[in-house]
Amino acid sequence: MGSAQVRQTSKGKLPRWLTSEHPLPWLFPVTSILVVFGLYPVLYSLWLSFYKRNPATRTEKFLPSWNWNKLIGDERVWDAVTVTFTYAAIALTIQLVLGMLIALLLDSDRRGFGLFRALMTLPLVVPPAVTGMMFLLMYDSSFGVISNALYSLNLLSPDHPILGSGSTALWGVIVADVWQWTPFMVLIMLAGLRALPKEPFEAASIDGATAFQSFFFLTLPMMSKIIALAVLVRGIDLFRIFDYVKVMTDSGPGTATETLTAYAGTVYFKSANFSYASTVALATLILVLVVSTVFIKVFKIRF
Amino acid sequence: MASVKISKLEKQYGAVKVLHSLNLEFADGKFVVLLGPSGCGKSTLLRMIAGLESISSGDVYFDDVRVNDIHSKDRNVAMVFQNYALYAHMSVRKNMAFSMRLKKVDKKIQDEKVAWASSILGLDDYLDRLPKELSGGQRQRVAMGRAIVRDPDVFLFDEPLSNLDAKLRVQMRTEIKDLHQRLKTTTVYVTHDQIEAMTMADEVIIMRDGRIEQSGSPMEIYDRPDNLFVAQFIGSPGMNIIECQVAEDSGVLYAVLDTLCLPLPVNSNVSPGQKIYYGIRPEHLIAAKAPMSFGSSSERLKTESGVVRVVEPTGPEIHVYAKLAGQDVCSISRERIMWAPGDEIFLQPDLQHVHLFDGETQIAL
Ligand SMILES: Nc1ncnc2c1ncn2[C@@H]1O[C@H](COP(=O)(O)OP(=O)(O)OP(=O)(O)O)[C@@H](O)[C@H]1O
Ligand SMILES: [Mg+2]
Repeated sequence: MGSAQVRQTSKGKLPRWLTSEHPLPWLFPVTSILVVFGLYPVLYSLWLSFYKRNPATRTEKFLPSWNWNKLIGDERVWDAVTVTFTYAAIALTIQLVLGMLIALLLDSDRRGFGLFRALMTLPLVVPPAVTGMMFLLMYDSSFGVISNALYSLNLLSPDHPILGSGSTALWGVIVADVWQWTPFMVLIMLAGLRALPKEPFEAASIDGATAFQSFFFLTLPMMSKIIALAVLVRGIDLFRIFDYVKVMTDSGPGTATETLTAYAGTVYFKSANFSYASTVALATLILVLVVSTVFIKVFKIRF
Repeated sequence: MASVKISKLEKQYGAVKVLHSLNLEFADGKFVVLLGPSGCGKSTLLRMIAGLESISSGDVYFDDVRVNDIHSKDRNVAMVFQNYALYAHMSVRKNMAFSMRLKKVDKKIQDEKVAWASSILGLDDYLDRLPKELSGGQRQRVAMGRAIVRDPDVFLFDEPLSNLDAKLRVQMRTEIKDLHQRLKTTTVYVTHDQIEAMTMADEVIIMRDGRIEQSGSPMEIYDRPDNLFVAQFIGSPGMNIIECQVAEDSGVLYAVLDTLCLPLPVNSNVSPGQKIYYGIRPEHLIAAKAPMSFGSSSERLKTESGVVRVVEPTGPEIHVYAKLAGQDVCSISRERIMWAPGDEIFLQPDLQHVHLFDGETQIAL
């Protein structure tokens, strides 16, 4: 009755479909965006991956298994998979631990902590490419602060450019990622910590639990869903890492920092082999889907 | 086991003072019940003894050791929280065993203790459930179990039976009392239930607005309330209170309100013209269908007649609510007199049990 009345009063003012209770008109905008910008590119990539492209003659030939076979035999792909997994695992672990520690420090009602919590988010507003540039400068072997600090502390020999050596380049990129994205972890962890009920901790204290015991027996289990969610969100993001690598090392030296997306970009822009680039990108997508689905199943995350 | 001493204890939340300079001493092994209206500061006091609430000023001592700066984990108290405060992600078994797990108690002893507690509390069938899969009363019993598996210096119970049904409550009351008699652990017990307070306590402390109104044995408090508040707070149905004035007639003193004229006990510490509260417990207000002979020569010493309003037979006794000179009064008798609303009722106070309070200070005279 209520809705009938509403419809009557708005009669003549709004078009019929705007007052409709049928789901279709309401689903239409987001569906169309998803179709145009999500589904279409994926399907188009899939279609591309079934063609063998000849960059020289700029012609395509329908050969469904060609690119996929090439992918499996491509050592650079497997290198990229290793780099991607290494990068994601290390960066994720550091961000997770740092994020939790900083969040624990900032989880206080005392005066001034709100300001710290706000300041903490600043790195998040810097565009990743700018962050990359910033760290590029700081790593510079002649005037970079970080390089010079490491050189003067004798932690690194001055003839060792951080981003220019295969052994440290990936770490250099990871540090930039950690600087930028740890605040994101802090935010998620803080939201979780601040929402925890106080009473169980009081009960634990009465039961004789030390701060450490409270953390491991109460905080961690109570935060497990949130931590899992943070790992999922950040993990997927880390898997798609492109900007820092592109700006800071451009996959170098050699292919020491070449991740899957970076390799796909190289194939696309440098070799102009669109169909093979699509195949690599699709493979990345499949890998992310598989890993995150397994993760969701194992940790029983519900949305 | 430890005695607990509280000296000049105060609690302030911002500008609001919720505890005013409390002085208390709980002897070792005593069962002390805190009783008071909602919001009077019982939980706050308990939480300060436990070390969960900061102390604004004053001291708390366990066995003459000042514990103000001792962390709650080191005070060795066991507490049942008013809101249970269970560990939501742990099963009932793990909730109860948590303190022992922290102390790395032998697994077999842990299991024995949990089994013992769960059989007392009737939780045997629920040991592997999570708190969210339990009813309110079951959760409360888990909270209880978590406390009794411990061997603390002091037990702190914050309304531990409030959510149980009447039968279970009586049963638990007995269990707690039995436990206390065996362990002789100093216990501070908060409750709203007067029967609980009366039946369990060695000592009852009545609080109001962050102050202690009276403390003493249950019977002392019931028989000799220090002031009007305690008199009204203890007892159910509550004490009849009639606000009246002392008058004199040929050398004898009476309490007078309009047409009502009530006899005063001999040697009452009152003077003519004084405003007083005249208090008489329902069981000491004797009711009859006909005027009772008073055995006195004075004309004014007569039973007062009123009109019956409500009759509540409870089984062992009958509660009669009546209007007496515009005042609501209640009388309890064990005699099987059949009353009906509208009946005329004759009431007579048992002079041995009259309580008089000053009209201004409300303190017992
Ligand atoms: N964190 C707080 N900030 C401000 N006031 C508080 C706070 N906690 C409690 N109070 C106030 O302190 C007073 C005492 O609270 P307390 O919880 O001790 O009451 P209580 O006697 O246990 O009541 P109940 O019987 O309802 O449990 C109340 O008036 C309450 O409003
Ligand atoms: Mg309370």
